[in-house]
Amino acid sequence: MDLTLRPAANFRFRGGVIAMAAAVTGLRRRAAAFLLSSAVRHQSSQSTSLQQGLVAKTSLTSPPWPEVKLPDPVEEAKYHAEVVQKVNKMIATGQYGRLFAVVHFASKQWKITGEDLIMMDNVLEAECGDRIRMEKVLLVGADDFTLIGRPLLGKDLVRVEATVIEKTESWPKFNMRFWKRHNYQRKKIIVNPQTVLRINTIEIFPCLS
Amino acid sequence: RYVRQLQRLQLLFSPTAGDARGARQFVEEAALDFARQHPDVVLYISPRFGPAPLLLAEYLNGTVREELIANKTSEEIIQLATKLAGQSGLDIIRIRKPFHTDNPSVQGQWHPLTNKPSALTIRGPRLQPQ
Repeated sequence: MDLTLRPAANFRFRGGVIAMAAAVTGLRRRAAAFLLSSAVRHQSSQSTSLQQGLVAKTSLTSPPWPEVKLPDPVEEAKYHAEVVQKVNKMIATGQYGRLFAVVHFASKQWKITGEDLIMMDNVLEAECGDRIRMEKVLLVGADDFTLIGRPLLGKDLVRVEATVIEKTESWPKFNMRFWKRHNYQRKKIIVNPQTVLRINTIEIFPCLS
Repeated sequence: RYVRQLQRLQLLFSPTAGDARGARQFVEEAALDFARQHPDVVLYISPRFGPAPLLLAEYLNGTVREELIANKTSEEIIQLATKLAGQSGLDIIRIRKPFHTDNPSVQGQWHPLTNKPSALTIRGPRLQPQ
């Protein structure tokens, strides 16, 4: 129970009526005294029940979620450093198989591995056959470990390369507007330019910390 | 490691018809530049006294695309030719997915039993508590 006799009443009624202020402070002190006494009574009741045994366990004594004990921060830091060292060693020795990455590209997030195709509904300013390096890598994973970025991973850690294979147009889509009973219909053919990329490689370098 | 999918471009036009004017201008001015910029595409230019001027594009998988170039300016023909050079021979129909992978899962595909403790560690009403 945190009891602090607040003299704030004095400050609040500084320009006001002093008698009122005095009455209010008196009230507060009395209320505080009452609270103190009630706390003392409560504590005494607690101590007696503790002497007897545990407090009655009802459905509301403990919160409904399971109580989680957080580990010691020092131990946790040591454990983290150990894990980071292990992963670094694994990357350095090349013990990973296939790598996959989650990349943010063309306002969409793609989960990509090596040698797979991606198509976007826009025009890239690279010619066919150009090699592109994708930044904005959110996540990289292998069979045993994953590196999660917050929200991005560093550029010196991951390298995703892709080649522009094709720059075509989409199939002709029909955009029709029709209002019934109004003799109104408009037909429009929409063709979007598209680009096809092939992901060549995903590489990671052992520079974790 | 990039292979252009366009094999050859055949430009068929007639030297007298009026609608082949753009094609003739393209042949005079821009055909050489186009051929130099795309060294892996073979450009055949054959004048013939036939019907409308055509631009035939053949791709490595055998598809042949014909584009009419009648009444088009030479800039439009250049743009068309670059577009055809960038395409591959797959037919332009609705594609269902904008991605394609041969290895969709790296860490093992998820099934409802991943991330669940195995039956040996669970204490249930039927299993004998050890």
